[in-house]
Amino acid sequence: MKVAPAALGIALAASLLPTLPAAQPDAVLDAMHAELKRSMTLTLNQLDKPYFLSYMVDDEHSWSASATLGGLLSSNSSTFRVPRLRMRVGDYKFDNSNWTGANAAGPRYDLRSFPIEDGNPLVLRQYLWLATDSAFKGSLQSIARKRAALRSVTVNEALPDFAPAKPFVLMHDFIPVKFESSAWTDRTRRVSAVFNDYPMLRNSLVEFSAIDSLHRFVTNEGTEVRVQEETGGVEIQVSAQAPDGMIVRDLETFYTRDIAKMFPEEDLVKSARAISQQVLKVAAAPTGDNYTGPILFEGIAAPQLLAELLGRNLYISRKPIAAPGGNPQATATELEGRRGVRIMPEIFDVVDDPAKPWFGHEEVDEEGVPELPLALVEKGVLKDFLRTRQPVRGYDESNGRARINGSYGADTPLPTNLIVTAREKSSIADLKKKLIDLIQQRGLPYGMIVRKLDFPSSATVEEARKILSAAGGGSSKPLSIPLYAYRLYPDGREELVRGERFKGVNARSLKDILAAGDDSVTFNYLDNGAPFALLGYGSGSAEVTVVAPSVLVDDLELAKVDDEMPKLPLVPSPASEPTTTAKK
Amino acid sequence: MLSSNIVRTLYVAALLTVSAVAFGAEDRVILTTMNDELQRNFQALKQKADPAPYFLAYEITDEVTNNVSASLGVLNATRSDHNRYLDVTVRVGDPKLDNFRRVRGERIEFTSGASVVIDDTPAALKKRMWLETDRIYRAAAERLIKIKTNQQVKAADRDQSNDFSSEESYAHWEQPAVVTFDATRWTSSVRDLSKDFLQYKDLLSSDVQVSVQSDNRYLVNSEGTKIQHGRGFARVMITASAKAKDGMDVQDFDSFEAADPKDLPSNDVIRASVKKVGAHVEALLAARTAEPFVGPAIFSGKASGVFFHEIFGHRIEGHRQKDESEGQTFTKSVGEKILPDFLSVTFDPTIKRIGGVDLNGTYEYDDEGVIARPVKAVENGVLRNFLMSRSPIDGFDHSNGHGRRQPGLEVVSRQSNLLVTSTHSVSNEKLRQMLIDETKRQNKPYGLYFEDITGGYTTTQRSGPQAFKVIPVIVYRVYADGRPDELIRGADIVGTPLASFAKILATSDKQEVFNGYCGAESGSVPVSAVSPAILISEIEIEKKDAGQDLLPLLPSPLHEGGQ
Repeated sequence: MKVAPAALGIALAASLLPTLPAAQPDAVLDAMHAELKRSMTLTLNQLDKPYFLSYMVDDEHSWSASATLGGLLSSNSSTFRVPRLRMRVGDYKFDNSNWTGANAAGPRYDLRSFPIEDGNPLVLRQYLWLATDSAFKGSLQSIARKRAALRSVTVNEALPDFAPAKPFVLMHDFIPVKFESSAWTDRTRRVSAVFNDYPMLRNSLVEFSAIDSLHRFVTNEGTEVRVQEETGGVEIQVSAQAPDGMIVRDLETFYTRDIAKMFPEEDLVKSARAISQQVLKVAAAPTGDNYTGPILFEGIAAPQLLAELLGRNLYISRKPIAAPGGNPQATATELEGRRGVRIMPEIFDVVDDPAKPWFGHEEVDEEGVPELPLALVEKGVLKDFLRTRQPVRGYDESNGRARINGSYGADTPLPTNLIVTAREKSSIADLKKKLIDLIQQRGLPYGMIVRKLDFPSSATVEEARKILSAAGGGSSKPLSIPLYAYRLYPDGREELVRGERFKGVNARSLKDILAAGDDSVTFNYLDNGAPFALLGYGSGSAEVTVVAPSVLVDDLELAKVDDEMPKLPLVPSPASEPTTTAKK
Repeated sequence: MLSSNIVRTLYVAALLTVSAVAFGAEDRVILTTMNDELQRNFQALKQKADPAPYFLAYEITDEVTNNVSASLGVLNATRSDHNRYLDVTVRVGDPKLDNFRRVRGERIEFTSGASVVIDDTPAALKKRMWLETDRIYRAAAERLIKIKTNQQVKAADRDQSNDFSSEESYAHWEQPAVVTFDATRWTSSVRDLSKDFLQYKDLLSSDVQVSVQSDNRYLVNSEGTKIQHGRGFARVMITASAKAKDGMDVQDFDSFEAADPKDLPSNDVIRASVKKVGAHVEALLAARTAEPFVGPAIFSGKASGVFFHEIFGHRIEGHRQKDESEGQTFTKSVGEKILPDFLSVTFDPTIKRIGGVDLNGTYEYDDEGVIARPVKAVENGVLRNFLMSRSPIDGFDHSNGHGRRQPGLEVVSRQSNLLVTSTHSVSNEKLRQMLIDETKRQNKPYGLYFEDITGGYTTTQRSGPQAFKVIPVIVYRVYADGRPDELIRGADIVGTPLASFAKILATSDKQEVFNGYCGAESGSVPVSAVSPAILISEIEIEKKDAGQDLLPLLPSPLHEGGQ
């Protein structure tokens, strides 16, 4: 499955040749090709004709289970196909996209789920036929309305609507994974039984999921992709309530691209115990105070910080054309317009390398564009952006980073394996010493160390909204809250505190990095595009790995949370009382 | 409060395949755990909370669902799910005035149907019950305070009844219903049956779907009720749709229901239904569109059942009689004639089957733990009763076992099995002759025959028109001059309830069963409607909004030779 970078070259070369027959028979792919060809002849009166059409059909085999306190909450296995098509009418310069009405609906044909069997290929085609007809009619409406809107609004900068891309062929066979779902269901249950040892926990959950999928993608331009993609994960969540009512949470995640070899049970048990103990410690800790000064991001907190401040900002967003009076929600990303500008200290280099066989590994993006390594930051200077086939100011070519669905029919770029390296490194002990020196120079009573951020977040939507609104809007997205925050006193003593949020931290803070550690921490996560990568939200997700050293950052601000707290339950927890009559 | 221990034979055991597990105390672990945690929370809250709760109830709904569906011989979905939902009811204040007081159509929503463990692990169950009770208690106390303030600044409600009725408590336990889903049989059946739609070349989509479900409910409350009961639901659904040249969507639907999947019809019977649905849709494509019409009509038994469910059933749901934002069509009509003398309407959740068909609206206890019983709503044309939950209304102080919900929503009064009976019934042939006679009498060229109705909707809110709309799918013109009947498409029935009832002239002597799911404030609940065909002297139809979509531009790959 996973090919070395050299194989990418072969695949590129192959794309110049006529389409090679697939090694493995594939009725779905054949149906996609047949309907693609037929659909390009669609025409209606003198209206715009299709110039681009892509079909994606993913076979998904998925397994999942969740448990708490030794009891199963749910267990599922399913097989389904996810079809998606993109139709563009007009031409690369001007089409039905990049405007707020880009998703005008065509006729509804009562389409149900895409067939999950290949017995009759014509039935597969029937589905694509109706979906395409509907998309074509919807696209004609979109482009007509876009033209009408342009009679009353002017556009500052006329960018083309779609970037051409060279045809790309990458065909792998599908070898189904023999996944032991019942073993994993039992394991999930057993790991969750650990929480029975911590009666003071409020909520607890262990959830595993595994997906074995076959991704197919074809375009009328000659791109043809068939790749197998596996993603497996275990998420362990706990929460506790502090004496003042504050709810504190923790989340530990394990992710892999090889679902046949998920994680050893003893690691999961260890982790469940560790976060149970930690969340109870956090609940018992004093609340922090407002703080402005240097903060050391140690361990996993460093790549988490860089995922949020850098990874999620390395693209240029394009504001869609709006109908008169409309005001599309498209905020400029924080690094926009800063190519060639120093965004980090000179000691840093950043590359995005999809070829590394890590969690973020991928050969081709959602638009069928090959993913090649990119040098994004060199000696602190921003050199490039992550791009899709949507032309943006200064760029009219994709570099293969269309990874999740964005708004108005476009995709959102995300990194694959984002690697942050420092040319000058200090030991963690030295970083702490630097932190102490700084606070002493400035007369601060203590410095702060953050060892984990709430990213991805297990917060409720209500809590996430509070954090977003507390940040007061503006162009920058608020940073996730710190889960583990410690005061570091000049004598080296550490004190855990809770209840703090970052204030006004954004991509500009990258310039305030003072020093980097000699460590290199790997952080894997699923980015779903939602604020704080909130678990369970967003449409689709992309596997991302961020590797970075610990960093000491100056001039950051932490503010004490002043939300209203829920009261403690009136009735004591059933776990804290002796068991009554119900016995197993 | 009385407590009756009801020991009864387990009819569920007769209907369903029951697991071979011995009948033992360990089987009651869910109910016992629920009761222990309920007592613990109730006692503690009574001591510590202000305002204190006077009533607490827990209901757990355990749903096991299996689905398989196919289109044109190819599977398009298979799914199995097992879920348990917890609903907590906390009442603070007192039965006269509590946190469930209806305030001008305000939506009351405390419970959330929290997911609970599907393993019988007491520790996990208790923790969730404890946290949900705390959350809901706080919301309940908050609403009570608001209501009390509201009471002081607004004019008194006309209905001075209490917020909560006192009822007997019940103890009932039976083996959980276990429904066996024969995946091999149904997978090959839906594949095979759905393939028959291939011969109807103008269909755009079609589907044969089988769903087999068990629904077990566990209920305890602070009055001593402890109930465990359940049943199965199996359903075959056949649908097909197409688009006429003028852009109008046409479709037909048929279904079969049974409590046990073993009692679903044979493939031959389902195949005949596939054929009927396919032929109907093709005939509808060729049919002429309906013209606005006022005149006589016959509703088939199924169509009449839906008609009564929409225009009558929803209007006698008890809680609507005390909500000041509701239309209250019948609130003051008790003891008055609202239907012709020859018609009676009963709601009876205790009847299990009629004419060999299992009824969807059958249950033993409602979601407030009140035992199911028949309710004679209309006797010989006179309104006698409402469908009651534990929310009393003027003159009706008690529940009659019709408080129902979908997990996650608050209970309100809902329909069960609606049964229309008639003392003026004639044969179908005679009824048809009466339609022709009435058509001639009114000097109309034709009357209408409504053979099938998929569903309908009605507005009962005061702010909207007190009207209904039912959406018939198969409608024929029956000509007075003896021409053959003619299928038409796009006829929507419109009207107002009181006017329509007065115009029922006679019924047939054959009952038909409509099984379905009804959606309202408390979610989707299974119901049935059983009725003979009815003859109405005047019905109004309007043209359906057709849409203007073109047919697909390219030919179907299925029928162009598939090159």
